[in-house]
Amino acid sequence: MLGRSLRFLPRHVAQDALREIESHIRERVEQTESMPNEQAALERVLGELGPPLRVAQAYSTEMTVDEAVTTGRMGAIARALWQLATTTVGGFFATLGLCVGYVTGAACVMVAALKPIFPENVGLFVVNGIPRSFGALLDPPAGTEVWGGYWVIPIMLVIGLAILVATHRGARRFLSWWRSRISPWAGQAAV
Amino acid sequence: MGLENWQEQLRHGGLELAILLAVAPSPRYGLEIIRHLEELTDLVVTEGTIYPILARLTRDGVLKAEWIAHQGPHPRKYYRLTDRGRGTLDEMLAHWDAFCEKIVRLIRAARRTES
Repeated sequence: MLGRSLRFLPRHVAQDALREIESHIRERVEQTESMPNEQAALERVLGELGPPLRVAQAYSTEMTVDEAVTTGRMGAIARALWQLATTTVGGFFATLGLCVGYVTGAACVMVAALKPIFPENVGLFVVNGIPRSFGALLDPPAGTEVWGGYWVIPIMLVIGLAILVATHRGARRFLSWWRSRISPWAGQAAV
Repeated sequence: MGLENWQEQLRHGGLELAILLAVAPSPRYGLEIIRHLEELTDLVVTEGTIYPILARLTRDGVLKAEWIAHQGPHPRKYYRLTDRGRGTLDEMLAHWDAFCEKIVRLIRAARRTES
């Protein structure tokens, strides 16, 4: 169960953590002399160790955030945000906000990509001279006019990429802040 | 803020310093650090607390971890201070001393005013 809970970590890190916890349990069992047999001693030690999920979460959240901050890779950042969103209230709301940013940015880029494929379905949708919505509609309601030529493509591409970059930087900054909150030495250069 | 909550924060704030002090004279493994802290302080540290801290201090280059097989019935992961860790510990101790001195000064001033 502990192994399953550490699945977010790189394999060698998870194996090392498991080995250390196993070594700890063995040591504790050997030192529990008053128990009638090894099984009882093991059960007592495991009980004192706490729920495996809690131990694993403490390990994996910190390490996953570390990897995300250090590498800046999209997958690592997504894993770290997911971990924080599922374990902390602040992490949940921060991840929610960042998801809105990523989805908005991706939607803008998609609008730019769809314009050359469906020129009559992408742009500013106007009904009786009043703008109603902007984006892509595969089946616009009757009486809807589409405003916007191919200039939509560069504008939406620039806006979309700018939102994606800003959101990604925001995500890294949030994770760096979270890491520095728990580890005062994280920002210092290693000797 | 309740007294228990305050004590908890105080313990939490001093835990990293306590861990670094525990491994300063010689390398120790996780359970040995827990026992050492229990023996000399009232810092009751659980495994779920100490191992993630040890892992983080190792990642940050403050500690170095090494598996040693020949010093017990099974391999143990020993932690020792790195050069950087020793510098960090010196700085922490200087800050700790200065902080305690200020608090003691405040306590003395408060007691003088009371009497």
